[in-house]
Amino acid sequence: MRLTGRTSITRRLTLLFVGASSTVLLALGLVIASSVENHFEVLDMEVLAGKMELTRHALAILKSQDDLDNLGQQMDHSLVGHHGLEVMLVGTNHAVIFATQNAKFSPDLVIDNATKRPHRPTLWKLGDQTYRGIAAELPTGIDAGVKVYVAVATDIAQHQAFMRSFLQTLWLFVAGAAALSGLLGWFAARRGLAPLSAMREQTKAVTAQQLSYRLPLESAPIELAELAQSLNEMLARLEEAFRRLTDFSSDIAHELRTPVSNLMTQTHVVLSRARSADEYRDILASNAEEFEHMGRMISDMLLLAKAENGLVVPSQEIISLADEVHALFEYYEAVAEEKNLLLSLEGDGKVSADRLMLRRALSNLLSNAVRHAATHTALWVRIRTSSNNVSICIENTGETIPHEFLERIFDRFFRVDPSRHRSSEGAGLGLAITKSIVVAHWGTISVDSVDKVTRFTIRLPRAH
Amino acid sequence: MRILIVEDEPKTGDYLKQGLIEAGFVVDLVRDGTDGLHHGLTEPYHLIILDVMLPGIDGWAVLAGIRHAGRDTPVLFLTARDHVDDRVKGLELGADDYLVKPFAFSELLARVRTLLRRGTKASAAEFLHVADLELDLLRRRVTRSGKRIDLTAKEFALLELLLRRQGEVLPRSLIASQVWDMNFDSDTNVIEVAMRRLRVKLDDNFEPKLIRTVRGMGYVLENPDCA
Repeated sequence: MRLTGRTSITRRLTLLFVGASSTVLLALGLVIASSVENHFEVLDMEVLAGKMELTRHALAILKSQDDLDNLGQQMDHSLVGHHGLEVMLVGTNHAVIFATQNAKFSPDLVIDNATKRPHRPTLWKLGDQTYRGIAAELPTGIDAGVKVYVAVATDIAQHQAFMRSFLQTLWLFVAGAAALSGLLGWFAARRGLAPLSAMREQTKAVTAQQLSYRLPLESAPIELAELAQSLNEMLARLEEAFRRLTDFSSDIAHELRTPVSNLMTQTHVVLSRARSADEYRDILASNAEEFEHMGRMISDMLLLAKAENGLVVPSQEIISLADEVHALFEYYEAVAEEKNLLLSLEGDGKVSADRLMLRRALSNLLSNAVRHAATHTALWVRIRTSSNNVSICIENTGETIPHEFLERIFDRFFRVDPSRHRSSEGAGLGLAITKSIVVAHWGTISVDSVDKVTRFTIRLPRAH
Repeated sequence: MRILIVEDEPKTGDYLKQGLIEAGFVVDLVRDGTDGLHHGLTEPYHLIILDVMLPGIDGWAVLAGIRHAGRDTPVLFLTARDHVDDRVKGLELGADDYLVKPFAFSELLARVRTLLRRGTKASAAEFLHVADLELDLLRRRVTRSGKRIDLTAKEFALLELLLRRQGEVLPRSLIASQVWDMNFDSDTNVIEVAMRRLRVKLDDNFEPKLIRTVRGMGYVLENPDCA
């Protein structure tokens, strides 16, 4: 059974309980069985060794061959009261000198055991009976130094029967215990995992409409508290993303409503009665401007939507910021001259970025600075390189932006002056786009506005 | 010049056709990929404008079919999805240019003309003329009625673009991209200001006025006496 993959925890724990308790019980049973077995062997050996000693004495007092031949009766006497105990004497000529009633062991076997494993317990099979016995070569008192091979054995059928029933009981007990521990384990696992089920029930309450729900941390066990914490954080992120998405959709709808309503009204009014060709041309041109504006807003919104899903920087190259700013200065040159602005650049730095995107980000800031700069002032771009970063400051002198607006200045559709509407200032997406581009390049952007000087600062990782 | 439009959206197709006919092209319009591929393979066209999302077989398959048959007719594809993958796919399949919907018609027209002009050699002329205006490309000098006009480098580039494409309405986005290499829109009226300054230098003291604003579309340089 594989305990990995999609096995339920309850099942896993139950199986582990069963496995562990069976192993322990089985090992214990085997130890007990083997020590009982040992104990039986020791008991047997005591009897056998005693009998062997008796035989040795009997043999030692023999004086002649005749005595040896009559040994039988004497042995019969001494064996009285020993049920299941068998003795067998074999001569060196392989002839059976004496054997108790059931001792029908092969003489060869007796001699073999006596020479190879004297006094060591051996199991002998005879029919369906099993005997434990010892064999030895014993001297006799006969002068000629006649030796006799003696085998003493005891029937161990009783022991075996006991062991069989013992093992049977053991197996049954182990099986029963395994089943029981499985049941208890299952119960314990269920009980132990109850907080998890509770958590599952609680998470069911979370829907798109109820993303504000959080899992209670106090009631969760310590092990689950961290999980609940992580889930709560995930919920918070989801809620935030979801809120942004909702805002995004409503922003689009809201921002498109005005131009669409303008277009509709305008067109309906014009259509309401016949007009001159010039008037039609005029209205169509005005519509075209409006459409262009909407088209641009849509593509800007799409760019931002992509950015919020983690904007991918299409291609990276090493870019000199001074070169980019120069190109942009040329672009804004005419507008700046109209306002008598002095465009000044100081410093340089190299970053790794997508040229088009970086240019767009800087262009938005410059456009912003040029638009809000007072006439006859200087517009500064300062680039500084530190060990890890390159910072670009774009600084214009104009009006101080109130502090409460600064926090929201990078928000979509945020305009400091709501009355200065679309025509002059675009859709209010420029700074949001700049920020998302900077963030996509692992940079940061900040703004401060003090004493009529407004300064945007971008920090980007330095290219080496 | 004969152009094939493959576009299933009825209004878009009709207006593209009307606009291009009025711009002086011979235009065939088909509404699905199967017809598009058939026409593209059997008729001689100078340019094919291909929508990507089409009923039947899509624009990619049409493009692939045309290229597979060994035809190198320039193809401009239109897409509503501005995905980098789409652009790459189109260009890999052998498209020559693409436009993302919504686009300005003047932008489309400018791209169409660029594609059609491709292949014919750019004029290596040293001078560009319109009316009494002369542009000396080698010495970077501009005269009108024999009088020297001083232009900045960018103004010169702007005038050169207008002159090379005289009679065409150039949208602001195209001007920004060709003259300043700014491939995005600025929310500041940069092009308007640059245009105004160029006009002051070029047209204020002379007749006829050569630069004209086409409201809602862009700018055009032409000799009104010949138009």
